[in-house]
Amino acid sequence: MNLIRNPELLDRLASAHALGTLRGGARRRFEALAREQAPVRAAALIWQSRIASMNELQPPSEPSPAVWTRIDNLVQGEQQARAMQATRQAALKESAPAEGLGGWLRSLALWRGATAAGVAATVVAVVVGVNMRDQLGQQLGSQVAALQAQLQATPQIEYVAVLADDKASASMLVTFDPKSKKLTLQRVGAYQEAGDRSLQLWALPPSGGPKSLGVLGSDKVLRLTAGEGDVREVPTLAISLEPKGGVPSEGGPTGPVLFKGALIQKVL
Amino acid sequence: MSIEAADGELIALLDRVASHDHAALKALYDRCSSKLFGLAVRVVSNREWAEDVLQEAFLNIWRSAADYRATLSPPMAWMGLIVRSRGLDFLRRRAAERTHVTQELDEVMEDTIAGDTPNPMDTAQASEQAWALHQCLGQLENRQREVVSLAYIRDLSHSELSEQLKLPLGTVKTWIRRGLDQLRLCMARFA
Repeated sequence: MNLIRNPELLDRLASAHALGTLRGGARRRFEALAREQAPVRAAALIWQSRIASMNELQPPSEPSPAVWTRIDNLVQGEQQARAMQATRQAALKESAPAEGLGGWLRSLALWRGATAAGVAATVVAVVVGVNMRDQLGQQLGSQVAALQAQLQATPQIEYVAVLADDKASASMLVTFDPKSKKLTLQRVGAYQEAGDRSLQLWALPPSGGPKSLGVLGSDKVLRLTAGEGDVREVPTLAISLEPKGGVPSEGGPTGPVLFKGALIQKVL
Repeated sequence: MSIEAADGELIALLDRVASHDHAALKALYDRCSSKLFGLAVRVVSNREWAEDVLQEAFLNIWRSAADYRATLSPPMAWMGLIVRSRGLDFLRRRAAERTHVTQELDEVMEDTIAGDTPNPMDTAQASEQAWALHQCLGQLENRQREVVSLAYIRDLSHSELSEQLKLPLGTVKTWIRRGLDQLRLCMARFA
């Protein structure tokens, strides 16, 4: 089909595609053509943008003031965590020449800081949770109860974390499937540790010290076995650079934290 | 305020949000929340859910404002797309959770069937392109315009529209086809 020689048909298909009513095989064929032929792609994009203007034409309505409070709480929580990370990076730079015992003490203090950040994030989450409950009241309560019953029947909660370095570029993708107790780590950044070093994954629970979840090999994808108890209610995961083979969990990390990220519970 | 000046201010706010300026996020929220909340209500048809959607959308804007400039979109168009996507995500999650519950006919749907809403479209804060679309949609018959607009806003297929609006499938297909034909001819004048 040569759509380019039939501008009216091209426009008709592009507009139906943008509206979303072009479905099934017709949609797939049109999208394949758009990928191959720039004029088809251009028509599709023009119509996407035209039809999307519909979003701007809906009558306005005033949300309750609680919505901004919730957004504000969550954003402040994120900002605090970021500020804490920046402070830690600055501290690392300042005392960079000091190695050995000094380095160990420094990292211990920083780990405490990171744990405190985790606590702060939990507090924010709880505050937000309470706000929501007040607002939605009974109706939400019954919805939550129904949902919980459903979830218990088919446990399908997955946990996801993107661990990023201090420049906030993603370096490690972590997913946890509680059914199979499998923790999967996937390297997405270019970071490669030296041959005599290992990366070690830690859970930072809101109380108590960091807990080792395992040591990473040099493979792109790594699978670890972990109990749901190790992962549940852990706000943050982090990866530290350790001597080859990792260090015992009890002593906590000894090297610098390279990547860190919040663990998100995702309901599928 | 002219469209360019208003857009200029929103773009400046988005730039500041991109560098994690908290006050800019508040200013952006004050400026856009009622417009975006109106859209969220249209997508999910329930004010409580729409508030969750608005919250998710603003966190999304906070985290991805740095990507805004590369899209070359008017600022309200970009934020509108985020709100609609979060709203559709919300509906999909909900559908997955409650497959056994038959979808109730909501107010928006009832209005569509009644066909007597004069023109619920609103051009406040709309970009130039949205204004053009508004002119063209205004030429459609009420129910036809509403069916076309629902198809997009809620991402519904012909058969989903026919089922939810309790209209024959053929009628839905005809209205959408004619509606799009008219839009095509009309929008060409603004190109």
